[in-house]
Order: sequence, then C-alpha cells, then structure tokens
Amino acid sequence: MKKFLHDRRGFALFNTVILTLITSLAAMILLNAVPRVKNPQATLKLTALYVAEEQFAHLESMAASGSLDAGSYSFQGAPEDLTTENAGEGVPVKFTVDTQISLGGVNLRRVTVKVTWQFGGEDFELKSERMMRVVPK
Amino acid sequence: MSRSKGFVFVEMAIALPLLAVLMFGLALVSAKLFEQSTDQLADYVLDEEAHYLLERIVQQARAAKEIEAYNSSNSVKFVYRASEDSAYALTVDDVWETQYYLAHQKSDTLAINLYAKRQRDGIFLNPITGDNFFGLTSLVNLEFREPKENSNVLHITLEMKSLVTDRHIKLTTAVYMPACDKDKKSGLNS
Repeated sequence: MKKFLHDRRGFALFNTVILTLITSLAAMILLNAVPRVKNPQATLKLTALYVAEEQFAHLESMAASGSLDAGSYSFQGAPEDLTTENAGEGVPVKFTVDTQISLGGVNLRRVTVKVTWQFGGEDFELKSERMMRVVPK
Repeated sequence: MSRSKGFVFVEMAIALPLLAVLMFGLALVSAKLFEQSTDQLADYVLDEEAHYLLERIVQQARAAKEIEAYNSSNSVKFVYRASEDSAYALTVDDVWETQYYLAHQKSDTLAINLYAKRQRDGIFLNPITGDNFFGLTSLVNLEFREPKENSNVLHITLEMKSLVTDRHIKLTTAVYMPACDKDKKSGLNS
C-alpha cells in the first residue's frame, strides 16, 4: 500500500507537470493570435483618403476657374469611386463625402472634406482640410 | 507491485490517446496561425506598395507639364519642370525632365511590376513594386482619364493583387494638374 501510494503520488506529479506544459503552450499560441485578427480598417482608411483627394482635385479645378463659392458641395468625382470592395470577401463598403466650404479671405476658401463609412456595425470618419485660392474671373 | 503496474498501464492507455489528440489539435492551430500571419504580412505589403505607387504617381502628375497615358499597357509618361543640374546656370527656364512608369513582366515570374524609367527604351532596372521578401504583388490595372475636358483633373485608377493571398486592392483618386498644357495630354480616355 505504501509502495502504491508512493507510485501514485509520483505519477500525479508527472501528470500535472505535463498538463501544465501543454496548457501553457496552448495559452501562448492563443495569446499570440489575438493581435492577428484580420482588420481591414487600414485599407479602408487608405481608400477613403484617396476619395477625399479626388474631391479636393475637383474643387481645386473649380477654384482655378473662379467658380468655388462658399456652401455645401456633393461629391464631384466619379460616383462609382464611392463604393469599394477593399474590405475583402466581396463585401462592398460605401463612402459618404460631405464637403463644406467657408470664406477664408477675399479669394481664399477653407475647404473641409469629411468621408464617412460604416463597417462591422461601427461608424468611421476621415476629415481633411485645405485652403484654396480662387482665381478671380 | 502488480497493482501499481496495472494502474500505470490503464492510466497510460487513457492518457496517451488524449495527449495525441491534444497535440494534433495544437499542431493544427499553430499551423493555421503561422499561415494567417504569412497572409497578413503579404496583405500589408500589398497595401503599402499600392499606397507608395499611387502617391508617387500623384506627386509626379501634379507637377506635370505633359502627360501621355498608355492605358492598354498600364504605363504612363510625364514631362515636368526640373532644376538645372549646373552651378553656372542662372535660369531654370526650359529645363524639362521625363519620367516613365512602365509595367513589365519578367520571363521567370508571374508578377507584373511597375518600373520607373527616364527613357522608354533600355533595360528594366528600377522596379518600384515587387521583389518584397514578405509577399509578391502584381499590377492588375493602371488607368488614367480626364473626367471633364480641359479641367486639368486627372483621374487615376490603380488595381493590384497579392500573389500570396490573391487579394485585390483597388484605389481611385484624382489629382489637379495646374501646369499641364491643354494640348499636351494624350491617351486619356474621357
């Protein structure tokens, strides 16, 4: 009996050590995976940045022709550029572009372009601002 | 003694298959995680190369005096003003630099890379995409058009794909070219 108990205690210790090793290995691997969850936000933000640049380019052209008044403007670029599938797996994401132009001086305009989008039930936005000089007609 | 041996045998008979199943599961999870991290690195490279390429073209287009687009071959030529590379030059008038971006596929690879060149002819030496250790990319489409005639707004579409994950990225933007001559634009599909 004494021998049996002795063997059993030894085996239980060995068993616990192995189990602890396996559990800690599993925990390490799973913890390592946490930051690698796929997140397409960086790509969507990059796409939104270039949509904002597209709006700025059209507004700059209007300013150069002397026709950029203060007020709200809709998206001046290609309408198909407001939808992207860069989030992956064929999921389309739609951008909304809101543009406000205010007077920044006699011939200066303060242009604010806000691009918003929804992904995974959350709202995101990217806001850019630029001063433009209107060339007098 | 015999009871002790019996106990060890039964215990091992139960524990070994459990251990084998557990280790197999861990190996599968580990392999999946490594695969996922490889894919994410490749996707990151794709985003970075598309960003760098488009930014470089936008900067060049903004300063361009002339543009010739070859949309069918994903290539473009810019002519822009540059400074004279001489200590004795007192004027920088009429000093023009040429910049080509030419798509090219080497015979030993599936990747179509974009090369920056000052001349259209000659050896393809300077790829500005591809050859990244973490994942190869390929150019799918590079297209230029002028949405409104004489607006000097250049619309650019860039599509690239990762040869590791087959993921595509499509970026569209526009750039205003204040210095571009109206009669020095060609190949822009309106």
